Amino acid sequence: MTILYDEGQQAIATESRRVLEARISKDALLPLLESVGDYHRPFWDTAKEQGWTALALPEAHDGLGLGLIELGLIAHQAGRSLSGAPFLTSGFGAAKAIELYGSDAQKAHWLPKLAWGESIGAIAFAAGPDALPAQPDVTYTDDQLSGIARGVSGGLAADVAIVLANGSGMPVLALVDLSGAERIAVPSFDNSRCVANLSFAGAKAETLAVGSAARDAALHILALQAVVTAHEQTGGAEVLMEIARDYALTRRAFGQPIGAFQSVKHRIAELYGLVELARANCIHAASREGAADFITAAAAARLSATEAYDTAARDCVQIHGGIGVTWDLGLHLHMRRARSLAIEQGSSLFWEDVLVDRLAGEAA
Amino acid sequence: MTDLETYRAKAAAWLQSMAPTYGREARKGLAEADDLALGRRYQKAKFDAGFAGINWPTEYGGQGLGHLEKVTFDAEEMKHGFPNFYFGISLGMPVPVLMQFGSDRDFVKERVLKALQGEEIWCQLFSEPSGGSDLAGLRTKAEPDGNGWKINGQKVWTSWAHYSDYGVIVVRTDPTVPKHKGLTYFWVDMKAPGVTVRPIKLAGGDSHVNEVFFDDVKISDDHRMSPVGGGFAVAITTLMIERYVATDSAGFGPHLDLFVDLAKDTLLNGKPAIEDGRIRHQIARNHAMRSGLDSINVRARLMMQAGMIPGAEGSLNKLVAVRSRQKLSELAIDLQGTDGFAFDEHASQKEDWASSWINAPTGRIAGGSDETLLNTIAEKVLGLPQDHRPDKGIPFNQIPA
Repeated sequence: MTILYDEGQQAIATESRRVLEARISKDALLPLLESVGDYHRPFWDTAKEQGWTALALPEAHDGLGLGLIELGLIAHQAGRSLSGAPFLTSGFGAAKAIELYGSDAQKAHWLPKLAWGESIGAIAFAAGPDALPAQPDVTYTDDQLSGIARGVSGGLAADVAIVLANGSGMPVLALVDLSGAERIAVPSFDNSRCVANLSFAGAKAETLAVGSAARDAALHILALQAVVTAHEQTGGAEVLMEIARDYALTRRAFGQPIGAFQSVKHRIAELYGLVELARANCIHAASREGAADFITAAAAARLSATEAYDTAARDCVQIHGGIGVTWDLGLHLHMRRARSLAIEQGSSLFWEDVLVDRLAGEAA
Repeated sequence: MTDLETYRAKAAAWLQSMAPTYGREARKGLAEADDLALGRRYQKAKFDAGFAGINWPTEYGGQGLGHLEKVTFDAEEMKHGFPNFYFGISLGMPVPVLMQFGSDRDFVKERVLKALQGEEIWCQLFSEPSGGSDLAGLRTKAEPDGNGWKINGQKVWTSWAHYSDYGVIVVRTDPTVPKHKGLTYFWVDMKAPGVTVRPIKLAGGDSHVNEVFFDDVKISDDHRMSPVGGGFAVAITTLMIERYVATDSAGFGPHLDLFVDLAKDTLLNGKPAIEDGRIRHQIARNHAMRSGLDSINVRARLMMQAGMIPGAEGSLNKLVAVRSRQKLSELAIDLQGTDGFAFDEHASQKEDWASSWINAPTGRIAGGSDETLLNTIAEKVLGLPQDHRPDKGIPFNQIPA
């Protein structure tokens, strides 16, 4: 698949940018930080109205039949505009798990709802530092889940979750309707992520995959989400680079714009490098869905995008000086988001291991 | 198979058949003169087989194919360690510029054909003792002399000048106007009276760069390749070509696979180093960086193929890749501990970590230093202010020394 965007793809990028820039502002996002359980409803309504929830799902189940490249373009803009909820990525991951590993009945039941955004999906694989635990905290016995899945983004609002569970020593990928789960809110530095601990006490669940197939499936879903998130991170990094550039052009000190000092201009030029490397890795990874090297490409995209967004958040605030650390300017929205996105879908430590295991295998 | 895959298979098969005669093993222990002679024969073989000037027009002996074929061939060629670096600059920058700007078309055609067949080599005479990063600050001058010009001055860091038959040169023709406006672009015969070439031995022990002195070197006006005073624009064209020639995500050092192999074969604290988190971190980061550059380069080539102008991100390759290679080479030596002392000054920097390490600083300076490249990105791409430049707009001969 080519890595040059075609006209349709460019239109998706332009239109999503126009819509989100018109509908999201920091004034709407700042109050969400101080309340647990709320998300930015206009963002989610926009995602549904624009068909973004259906974008990368199959046409047979009310999806639009597009793929990672197109969803990545939306996510890139969501990153630039600071998406007001995590459901676009988590719902995509849940839907892909059902599409790829579910039964016809499961697909017929869930995919149209997820495509329309009537239902919100979530992914619960991690156990703290372990993105794909060999012994998950949640257990699966006799079609029932028990135990607590910690730190699930979107968990407070989700209707359905894909859970990596421990089925008598074997990994199980399970589909669970969350009406039978207790949600315990996790107050966070980025509260619109709607993070919850999902507590199961015999919730009825269905298996999607068992044994090593479950782990492979979970890694694949995680990689798909990681590519979407990497686009979002790259969008965030890109907009921070632009904000830093614009500020350096207007703010004057010692008789000249601060952007004329090499310590400042080189810092911004370095951000440009990080953003372009992340973007290039994202485009490449999105074009490799279904190929043998997809996981490797996803890992590279994830690592470079996390580095780009974290560094851009750090440096953009630094270039602003004192004004940069104020609540009202809102750069901390990006600082917070950079860190939430860094720990959703497996941190850099996880993806480094995934990547090196593969490279070491190939170089044998 | 796509056309490109067919092309790759054809190129790979030919290159494989050439490897015993011209490849890594055949070159072992050769003195440089013999290696160059072998290189000329290899270049001729490439020409005869239709693999020289792959993306050049057929009327100049090229193959009339695209950038993708060229890059495909280069990637396959790189695997065998052929003696082709003597022609890298010649065919990379000066000869394409000659094709574009040379005025005597018959002469141009003859030169291009000889260069493509390895019979003649061209060098690029830009940098001077007083101007490397500040190219427009150069002092070598050309003064009117009868119907032609007379050149006096000194160039430096000129790669392969000692083997070159011709060179392209930027000189000052008018010191009374601001520095960018008084430059003119010519070609010169490197065997002409008054041209003296002196090799410079570099830190790694090699001597492929030179000082070149010009003492009353007379040339006719048909050597001129730009309007009088319009040389800077042609020089920039050359540097733009360089940007897309210089795209090796390994930073002209070893492939990352070689580091992975080293880490697998080395025991650290009794375990393979590939299991050590510090080593894994560096492998992962270097891979992510290189795969990003590879993707940028592929995208740039696809854009050129489609008749579009690639983005400015192409300028990142050298900046990002070479400094990473420098650090990775240090780590590779660390990994070997005292075994890392072993050094062969003739080893290839694409295959040997010590050679890669000691030659890395050259890469970070040549063709635009890291700092100059960051300035270029900041100013030309991001629109940030220029540095304070006290020489701006002042006639060259009034700039305080």
